[in-house]
Parts: sequence; structure tokens; C-alpha cells
Amino acid sequence: MSFQRLPWALWRAQIPAILRLELKKTFFTRRGAWIYFLAFAPVVLYAVHSFVELKNGVHGDLGEDSHIFATVFQFFFLRLAIFFGCVGIFGNLFRGEVLEKSLHYYFLAPLRREVLVVGKFLSGLLAATVIFCSSALLQFIALYCYFSSNTIQEYLFHEHGLAHLAAYLGVTLLACIGYGSVFLAAGLLFRNPLIPTVVVLVWEAVNGFLPALLQQISVIFYLKSLCPVAVHESLNADKHNLLDLIAVNPSPAAPATAILGLLILCLIILTLSSLQVRRMQIDYGAE
Amino acid sequence: MVARQGEDEAHQPSAPPQMKRGAQEQRIVFENVSKFYGEVLGVNRVNLSIPPGITSLVGPNGSGKTTLMNLMTGLVEPTRGRITVLGISPHEPERLFHKVGYCTQFDSFPKGLTGYQFVYSYLRLFGHAHAAAARLAEQAIERVNLTEAAHRLIAGYSKGMRQRIKLAQAMCHKPSVLVLDEPLNGLDPLIRAETITLFRSLAQEGLYVIISSHVLHEVDALSDQVVLLSNGYVVAEGQIHGVREEILEHPTQILIRCNKPSDFASRIFQQEYVVEARILPDGQGLLVKTRDADRFYLLLNRIAQGGISVESVAPADDDVLSVYEYLIGAEEPPK
Amino acid sequence: MAVHKRSYHSYAGEFSPAWSRFLVVSRYAYQRALSSKFIVAYFAICFFYPLGCALALYMNHNQRLLAIFNLSSFFSVDATFFYHFMNVQGVLAFILTALVGPGLVSPDLANHALPLYFCRPFSRVEYVSGKLFVLVLMLSLVTWIPGETLFLIQSSLAGASWMWSNLWVGASIFLGSAIEILVFSLLALALSAWIKRKTAAGAALLGVFFFGAGFGQAINAVLRTKNGSLIDLGSLIARIEIQLFHQYARRPAAVPADWAWLVLLAIGAFCLLLLEKKVRAYEVVRG
Repeated sequence: MSFQRLPWALWRAQIPAILRLELKKTFFTRRGAWIYFLAFAPVVLYAVHSFVELKNGVHGDLGEDSHIFATVFQFFFLRLAIFFGCVGIFGNLFRGEVLEKSLHYYFLAPLRREVLVVGKFLSGLLAATVIFCSSALLQFIALYCYFSSNTIQEYLFHEHGLAHLAAYLGVTLLACIGYGSVFLAAGLLFRNPLIPTVVVLVWEAVNGFLPALLQQISVIFYLKSLCPVAVHESLNADKHNLLDLIAVNPSPAAPATAILGLLILCLIILTLSSLQVRRMQIDYGAE
Repeated sequence: MVARQGEDEAHQPSAPPQMKRGAQEQRIVFENVSKFYGEVLGVNRVNLSIPPGITSLVGPNGSGKTTLMNLMTGLVEPTRGRITVLGISPHEPERLFHKVGYCTQFDSFPKGLTGYQFVYSYLRLFGHAHAAAARLAEQAIERVNLTEAAHRLIAGYSKGMRQRIKLAQAMCHKPSVLVLDEPLNGLDPLIRAETITLFRSLAQEGLYVIISSHVLHEVDALSDQVVLLSNGYVVAEGQIHGVREEILEHPTQILIRCNKPSDFASRIFQQEYVVEARILPDGQGLLVKTRDADRFYLLLNRIAQGGISVESVAPADDDVLSVYEYLIGAEEPPK
Repeated sequence: MAVHKRSYHSYAGEFSPAWSRFLVVSRYAYQRALSSKFIVAYFAICFFYPLGCALALYMNHNQRLLAIFNLSSFFSVDATFFYHFMNVQGVLAFILTALVGPGLVSPDLANHALPLYFCRPFSRVEYVSGKLFVLVLMLSLVTWIPGETLFLIQSSLAGASWMWSNLWVGASIFLGSAIEILVFSLLALALSAWIKRKTAAGAALLGVFFFGAGFGQAINAVLRTKNGSLIDLGSLIARIEIQLFHQYARRPAAVPADWAWLVLLAIGAFCLLLLEKKVRAYEVVRG
């Protein structure tokens, strides 16, 4: 074969090839319908709320609605919707291929396994980001759409509306990065995704009680710091057993620390994942 | 080269002498390779040097054929030993898979792809631009006669079509080495014949074609050399005729058609290297077992000049099936 | 082909009782479930709390021990005691369901085993009953059986008068456990029947509970209502437990008890419908 390329140029060609293959499997498949349901359920909820308010001619309280949005975003959207969505998207990147016995096609290509990990992670990230960021945007629109146009313009362009929206979209992206790297690694290390899911869920839940150093080994620790509106510990006075577990907030970190910390955590996890993939052998019979 | 099952280490086939670098780059080399899956033996102390041409890996289920193929393509790591494919280690996939194509035994595919997309998408992984990948994909699909079905989903393919699209994907990037794990599985007789012709033409173009198969008469017809495996050990390797000659404890069987089989038998029985002579039921020939085929053929010439009309002489067990039965036995009856 | 000697005869020996044949399915399902050391270890852990409670009951009635502390009792054994016991064992039972349940039907579906079952004189009802029996027995062993055993221990230590005045607690233990067992088992089986990968089915079971809890609270917050709790399975079961154990003062009720019963019945019926649709001798494969 006369074809010769430098590695960076080759990788720049290979990663889009991986993305093309992976996105076909992730987007618009019946198997992934539940992720769309998770992501867009809050949009429907806010739309119903706005419809009811409009129908009743109620003048809403922007501050109260912002607080509710922040609460639902932090306690449902981040900790449940994005969390389980990333389990489904990223956990399947390698584990799904092993179960479907198609991973060997990648291993039989002239492709460094580290590049494969990067390509798969980016494909999962692209899918998760598109789904959950668009959901966050639509939630924002659905929640405030029943206010008058003057109120909305005032809030968006003269108060901190746009900044809040940008913050929420940024936090969503970072959540996808953080949880994505964790569950990509979990999919490589564990045959049963239930175990790492429960472990991470519990770890994130008890994060507020842990020593400061251990608190930093957590995705939610960084994300909470970046949310523009602070919320109290529970959604409402009716404390519920299950939510009590996940509704305890860790103490916040500075935004720059949060972003850098999360990216470093992600990088470390991806590096370890690459090492694991490098040692991986194809043995479908064991599955 | 022949080894016997159950022989101690002293009688194991010796490792090939240290090959010069240039020679190694022309071959697929296994140096004292072993692979254990936990406590289960995959292959043990395998020393092979595979030249260009068609090499068949033959053995019963569980003998280690797929393990050898997975080892040479890096899908599994050897527990011991070293493997090089044309001088390249399987630890360097970015170099190796430009030269190697592997059609595995797994009948599974990425979901939601058509045959064309399957071949094209993995070609893009090689770094080919769109136009080159499209051209190569079309050529490979055409070579396996799947052009008409190329744009249908693989999930809707028959078994034979799935086998062929796998083959197309394995050879689309024009590798130097083609590793094929039971490539004729599921193919109807017509397609089998076409595929065998394809393999022959690829071998004639200079490719290394390594095939594993249970179908021994096809291995016989197809292969330049064979590697017989049993229970993870290489029992024999080389050209069929050479392997057969080395199996001394099984006398060579020769089928002779002649007009006076009784006379013939009485003349050859005097020779100490003739073990058995059995007259055929039709009375028009006999089956001779001899420990020394070369001397027997010389004797045959003299007998033929002595008034007995010999119509035909043919070895009766100079094929893979017989070699398989002698060396590997009846534990796993061949197909 | 002429038959000269009829030496083939159909089986004319004894058959096992028809009513017990569904237990064949259970037997092999148990074998598979208990072949996992993790499940066996977890199952054993489920008995730690009942053992601890039994010990506590004994100590509570040990006159010598009480005399040392100059107390008449360490704690009162009443409906509240058994309510807490049910809560703890309920959580353990849920996790056990998530571990065992998904492996019941998913592997049969994924490996095309259902036609093999139903081409024998074996009905779908027997099949589902057999699989259900696995969960019912295991969950019974960690819920009402230890619960009733503790009730009997307490009765034997406290005397007949305590037993007669608290007989309703014994009935509540059984009824509350039965509700939990049925809901968990039917949900696990239904998810196992619809999701071919057992690990994904397990994650889905977890997700149903957490999603219901989280989204239910989100609905309550956004729509300023309490009806969101109707999709929170944990909350519904808790509501019924409150009613059964008369714990009204302890927890404010999120939804009325009859609504909780209704919703749980509807969930059970829906799960049976899902099972009816999926557990068939044939499978339509699209694509």
C-alpha cells in the first residue's frame, strides 16, 4: 500500500470516521428512546405549567420560577436525567459493542486504541450534549414562555437571564463530560453496569459528608458550584426517602477550580480507560 | 514436519532456527507461542513459519485454530512467545492492519448498516478519503458478487451474504495477508466454488492466505500447505505429501488396478516392506500397504514388465483426511 | 418405507402433577441466580437486620439486663418498630429484585428460548408463574417471613395479651410485604421481558424508581401540587405502609391511601399486560 500519512493527520481522519460510525448507532434509534424521554420530560412539564398559567391568566413570579428551575435542574436534571442518560450512552460505547460482538472490527483496523477511546468518547459526548443541551434550552424557553415579551426581554437582556442560560448550558456540557468519562470507564471495567451506577450514585449522594479531598473526586461537586442559582437541600418540605439520599449538597468550589478540576478528572479517567483498552482482548464467549 | 500427540518435550518439533530479519519479514512467524485462557489451554509451544500461498489450519473443534488466528492479529495476547507478521508485531495495529485483513468467525455486525456502509465506514478508519474509500468498497463488494445487495441492511442478509460481506470487509484495503476463519461456512456449493477460485487467485497474486476449515477435501484441493492442530499442539505442518511421507507407523496405502491381482499379490508379498495386500471385491485390482513407497514403486515397474497389465496406480491415503485420521484420530470425526 | 417391527412406543410411565410443573422453571432459575457469589452474599446480608432485631427483642425482655440499667424496657415494641423494620427490609428487597429479577426472562428472550418452552405442553401462565415464584420466594424470605418471625418472638416474650392487641400488626406485616413483593416482582419481570440485556433491565428497574421519585418531586414543585407523587413508586408503597401501620403522625401523607392502592394495582395490571405481549412463542424481528 502506497498510502502514507503523519499520525496527527491520520488521527484527524480517523476520529471523524469513528464519530460517523458511532452516531449512527446512538441517534434516533429505538433502543435509545428512553434517553430522549429522560431528557425531554422536564420540557413537557414546564410546557404544561406554562399552558396552565396562560389559560388561567396568572402572572407568574420570575424569581420564584427561576428558583424552581434551578431546583429541578440540580436535583432532577443533573443528578437523574443526565446521570442515567450518560449511563445509557457512554456505558454502551464499549460494553454494548462487546455484547453485540462487533468490537473486533475496530481492533482489526490500523487504529491506535487510544484514538478509539477518544473517538468513542467524543461521539458519546456529541450525542449527550446535543440531547441534553437542547433539552436545557427548551426547558428554559418552556418555563418562561408564558411571561409577557417585555418581561422576558428585560430578564434576558438587562438582567442575568442570558448569563443564567449560558451557565446552565455550560453546566450541562460539563455534566456530560464528567459523567461520560466515568461511565465510559465503568463500561470497560464492569460487565454489569448496575454496580458502578449504584456506586457512583451513592458516592455522589454522600459527597457532602466526605472530607474535602474526597469531595473533589466527584462530578456533582464541581457542577453544583457552577450553577447560577443556589438552592436549598430538598425540593420541598416533603422529604422523601429516596431523594433524601441524593439531595444533600456538597460545599461549593470556585468556578475556575470547578471547570479545571472536572476537566482534569475527566482526562485522568480517559487516560486510565485508554490503558485498559490497550490491554483488552477479544473474548466474547466470556460475556 | 510431524509431531505425535502425547509425546514428551524431547520429541516436540524444534523451534525454527533464528531467522534472518529479511527472511522473517517474508513470513508469518510464531516463536514458541503459548496461550492459556486461565487453566484452559488454547495453544502450546507453537513454532510456525508460514510462507506465501494458501495455508490451511486443520483440526477438530477446540484444537486452537481460531486462537492462532486471534494471536497473529492481536485480538488476544500470547501467554508466552513472540509473533511477527511480515516483520510487524501484533502490538502495532496501526502498521499491522494495513497489511493484514481478518475475516473472523463471528457472525455479528454493527447495527443499522448496509453492506456498503459496513465496508466503506471501516475503510474510512484506515484514513482513506471519501472517494478512495468508496472506490475500494465497491471493488471489494464486486469481487464477492454482492453489488446488487450492497445497499440493503446487513440484518436482512442471508447467512451466505453475511459471510461474503465479511470477506469483502476483510480484503477491501488490499492487504498482503488474509486470515480467514472458516470462510466457506454457510455458502452454497456454487458460491463456495467461486470463493475458492477467489482465494486461489489472491494466492497467485502473492498474498498470504491463511484459512481454517473442517472440510478436508476442500483443504486438499485448495491448500499449498497445511498445519494440523490437535488439543492446542501443532501435530504436523507442511505440504500434504511431505507430511504423509513422515507418518511412518501408518504404511502407505496404494490402490492398483490390474488384470491379475492374485499373481501380483504373490509377487509382492515376498518383499519385507509390503505389509498387506488385499484383493478388491471386483477382482480387478488390489490395495497394498507398504512401509516403503519408493521401493515399492521400483518393484511395481519390474512387475509391470513381467507380464501383468497394470491399468492404474494411485495413493489411497495421500490426502488431508487420511493424515487427519492418522494423526488426530477418531475423537473428533472430520466432516 | 415398510415397517416390519413396531419397537417404538411412546412414553407410558408416570408424569409429575400438572400443577407443580411451573416449579421446574423456578428450580433452574434459582440455580442460575444462586450461582452468583455476589447475590448469595447479598442475600445473606439481608438477614443481618432481622437477626439484629431479634437480638434486640430478646435483650428488651431480658430482666437481668434491664435490671442493670434499671429500666423496664430499652424501647417500645409496637407498630412503629415493625414499620421501621419493613422500611429497611423493603429497601433490601428492592435491591435484591434488581439483582435477581432481570436475569429471569431477558436471557430466555435474548437466546430465543421461549419457543423451546412453549413447544412443550407448558403454558405462558406457567412460565410467568415459575419465574414470579423465584422472586416471590426470595423476597418473602427477606420481608414478611422474618417480620412475622419477629412478631412471634415478641409475642412469645411479651405474652398473649400483647399478641391479641397487636394482631393487626401481624396482618399489616404480611399485607405490606405482599404489596412490595408483587409490585417489585411484576415490574422486574416486565422490564426483563422487554429489555433483552439483563444488565440494562437491572439499570432500568433502578431508573424507574429513581426517575419516578425525582420527576414526581419535580412535578410537585413546578405545578405546585402533590399529585406528582403518584408516579413515585417508593412514595406510593410508603403511603400504604403508613396506612397499614397507622403511622399518620410520623409522616405527612403525600397522596391519599386509596389513590396509592389504585395506582399500584394499575401498575401491576400494566406489568401483566407487558408480560402478556412479550412472553410468546414467537418474536417479530424488524430490520
